[in-house]
Amino acid sequence: MTRSRGWLGALPLLAFYAFVFGLPLAALLVGAFTSQGRPTLANMRQSLEGGNLTSIAGSVQVSAVVALLGAVLGTFLAYAVVTSRFAALRHSVLTASGVLANFGGVPLAFFWVATLGNSGVVSGLLGLPSGALYTFWGLVVVYLYFSVPLMVLVMAPALDGLRPQWREAAANNGATSWHYWRYVGLPVLTPALLGGVVLLFGGAFAAYATAAAMGAGTVVPLVTLKIANALTSDVLIGQENVALALSLNMIVIAGLVMAVYLPLQRRSTRWLR
Amino acid sequence: MAAVTGLEQPLVTASPRTARPRAWRAVVLLLAGLYFLVPLGASLWYTIYTPTMGVSFEAYGELLTAEGFASSLALSLGLGLATIALVLLLTLPAMLAVRLSAPRLRPVMEVLCTLPLVVPPITFVAGLGTSLRTGAEVLAPTPFWATLIAVQDPAFPIVLVLAYVVLVLPFVYRSLDAGLRTMDVRTLVEAARNLGASWPHVLLRVVVPNLRSALASASFLTLALVFGEFTVARLLGYQPFAVWIVTISGSRGQVSVAVSILSLLLIWLLLLAVSSAFGREKK
Amino acid sequence: MTSKVEFRDLRRIFGKTVALDGLDLTIEPGEFVALLGPSGCGKTTALRCVAGFERPDSGAVLVDGKDITDVPANKRDAGMVFQSYSLFPNLNARDNVAFGLRVRRVPVAVRRAKADELLELVGLPAHADRFPHQLSGGQQQRVALARALALEPRVLLLDEPLSALDAKVRVALREEIRRLQLDLGITTIFVTHDQEEALSIADRVAVLRDGRLEQVGAPAEVYDRPATPFVAEFVGTMNHLAGRVSGTGSVTVLGRTLPIDGPAPADSDVDVLIRPEAVQVTPAEDGAAEVLVASFRGASVRLRLALEGGEVLADVPGHEAVRLTPGTRVTVRLVERPVLVAPRTVTVPVPVIEPADAV
Repeated sequence: MTRSRGWLGALPLLAFYAFVFGLPLAALLVGAFTSQGRPTLANMRQSLEGGNLTSIAGSVQVSAVVALLGAVLGTFLAYAVVTSRFAALRHSVLTASGVLANFGGVPLAFFWVATLGNSGVVSGLLGLPSGALYTFWGLVVVYLYFSVPLMVLVMAPALDGLRPQWREAAANNGATSWHYWRYVGLPVLTPALLGGVVLLFGGAFAAYATAAAMGAGTVVPLVTLKIANALTSDVLIGQENVALALSLNMIVIAGLVMAVYLPLQRRSTRWLR
Repeated sequence: MAAVTGLEQPLVTASPRTARPRAWRAVVLLLAGLYFLVPLGASLWYTIYTPTMGVSFEAYGELLTAEGFASSLALSLGLGLATIALVLLLTLPAMLAVRLSAPRLRPVMEVLCTLPLVVPPITFVAGLGTSLRTGAEVLAPTPFWATLIAVQDPAFPIVLVLAYVVLVLPFVYRSLDAGLRTMDVRTLVEAARNLGASWPHVLLRVVVPNLRSALASASFLTLALVFGEFTVARLLGYQPFAVWIVTISGSRGQVSVAVSILSLLLIWLLLLAVSSAFGREKK
Repeated sequence: MTSKVEFRDLRRIFGKTVALDGLDLTIEPGEFVALLGPSGCGKTTALRCVAGFERPDSGAVLVDGKDITDVPANKRDAGMVFQSYSLFPNLNARDNVAFGLRVRRVPVAVRRAKADELLELVGLPAHADRFPHQLSGGQQQRVALARALALEPRVLLLDEPLSALDAKVRVALREEIRRLQLDLGITTIFVTHDQEEALSIADRVAVLRDGRLEQVGAPAEVYDRPATPFVAEFVGTMNHLAGRVSGTGSVTVLGRTLPIDGPAPADSDVDVLIRPEAVQVTPAEDGAAEVLVASFRGASVRLRLALEGGEVLADVPGHEAVRLTPGTRVTVRLVERPVLVAPRTVTVPVPVIEPADAV
């Protein structure tokens, strides 16, 4: 394979990509700005009004809460595991986190319905009111199940990168634990922390299957559910393009998330080398 | 699918720490343990206990004979295998080409293979659905129309395979990239070519054997994603495994929870298989 | 201002490994003592006991006569320089050095000025704004040194600070450390496994083995009059030649009779330990030895000679070695001075080289 013809090997993938990924995206873009065959901004405007806006706000709220809570809890869990004497504990928790971080979707919903749902095994014991799982906080509790492990996976390597010499050098200079974390530990961890928060936000924001399987749409407005309804509903013909506009909004938000995450991740690895 | 799989190589190997026992660590671990294990235990209990009939494993037996179980499982399996084959066939030559003779394409590849992470599956299926419908209209007078319809055949929707390849691309790319980097593919290929090997020979006898663990991990991740995939399948109107679980949940609550537990076990086994593939490679 | 440090019967065990086995050592105020020994001999553990990062199982560390064993690490007055990676990556050089002062709430302007002053002292006046990842290894260690001195500690501790650096940087930096120490007059404990390093800059060298003190003394004393065979072999190179005790206090080796340094052993068959520079080599056509290898070392040449079925190492000045090429037959003569003896282990001459010395 000579240099000039090397790229031929990449051709099938590029062609496939353009076709299977590019076309739908193009259709999305076109549809978002089209109504009844004519270019318009009406769809975009509608996607940011009324129920649509509520759903965007709802998704952002859930995702933000999940991201912040998940980040804090995940970091503490990661720290507890990384500083433990027992290598077996560390290994098993990290493996479990690997599984659970990728485990969202339908089965997760059913676990929680079985546990805290209206006829759930634990809900009776805790005396939860009916429908408790299907509220904002119920959804947050469910989403944390894959968010906290994800944060553990992000923070464990970052915490490992905190060299013991820094702690010792700090103590040697008279610092207490608090001084160490304030001046050295947390600043060094900040890129990883922020990256984790952003990653958790993106994951919760894009989630659809779990909420759909739970049937939580009735109580918690989520943009993913809204889009799904608009796409499958027979009643709202002509609303498809608004759904596309709404999708475009989602992609923009998700794009912003990635734009923040990637440089943070690179910065975090640089200091921990 | 999360953007982090936990299989990435650590930058700094963990140093053994002599930790002083601390109460807060025990508390944190206890609370975490409760939070993560109770739903599993409760779900298990849910599947085996009903107030009327006491403890029984009937739900698991019902599962096997439930309508649609076998067919949806087979469909998911078929889709998974087809996706693995297609994604590897497309990605491996492309990555080799970039590494060996077109390094300037590399940033392009990176961006393209990370882009699907930015597009939430629901938005992707929105665009996909629209394209299919528009395509059906536009291509109606052409011979391509038949192809388009065939691709959406409910018995085996190739369109899902195509969509899944896109969804799984970032993970496969990262896995193969790490594997190619570790094996220093350029040196090996040049050595093989220097010894007179033809391209197919190089591919089959040099590249693939050295990529075994990366290929294994890419395959297992793909399988895990396809089995758990719900959004695209549901909104295009098909019924592979995950969609089937939701469908029967209405009528048979216990069975759907039972299946969920089995899914978790399956993913666990898949990831264990992947990490042991990695472990073997390290030796 | 500067303190006396004392290790009193220090013991520390990690699981099954005995790191310290009753270490007794006193370091006078203003003294520069090198703790020298192979890996696992306990030198780093002893140092960390002074810093407070290790707690001895029994025994005590005393500073100016006061037992500091129970004082927490961040309240001790001992500045430490680690082997590597100890600079805070998120702070530039100046802020690293000023860290201790910041913890003590010294005002910004004052601590910055002090940090700049110290950076100039260690030869990095223009690097104050650089971050650790922008500094070379040698520069990082200088910043670490400045940081250790910032709080004007009574004791300076250095844990193999030069081991991770290039050879040339190592030599330059160790001399600077010594010069600095002499200027400041601060009690210093320097841990190293490199005997050349220890001998060249310390006031006294303490050789440790398996957690115990083998010998402590001025560099020349440790080198010329090693107290035990271990010290003799760890510090520098030693030839082992078979000898026989003859008469009182003498030993016959290579046809000569030399006085024994130290008490005569019970067994009359002994190993005689001879330094390469104590072996004189003269070309002779009927000589008993033959030159096998000549290693050029700049100022001197190390010869490997075949003798009596074994090998002997000899160091000769460079200008003499011109005639001593491989294959030359030579006579070997031992310098007339007291020699160290050890229980017999060899039947033919065998040179024992300390690992760091191997070329």
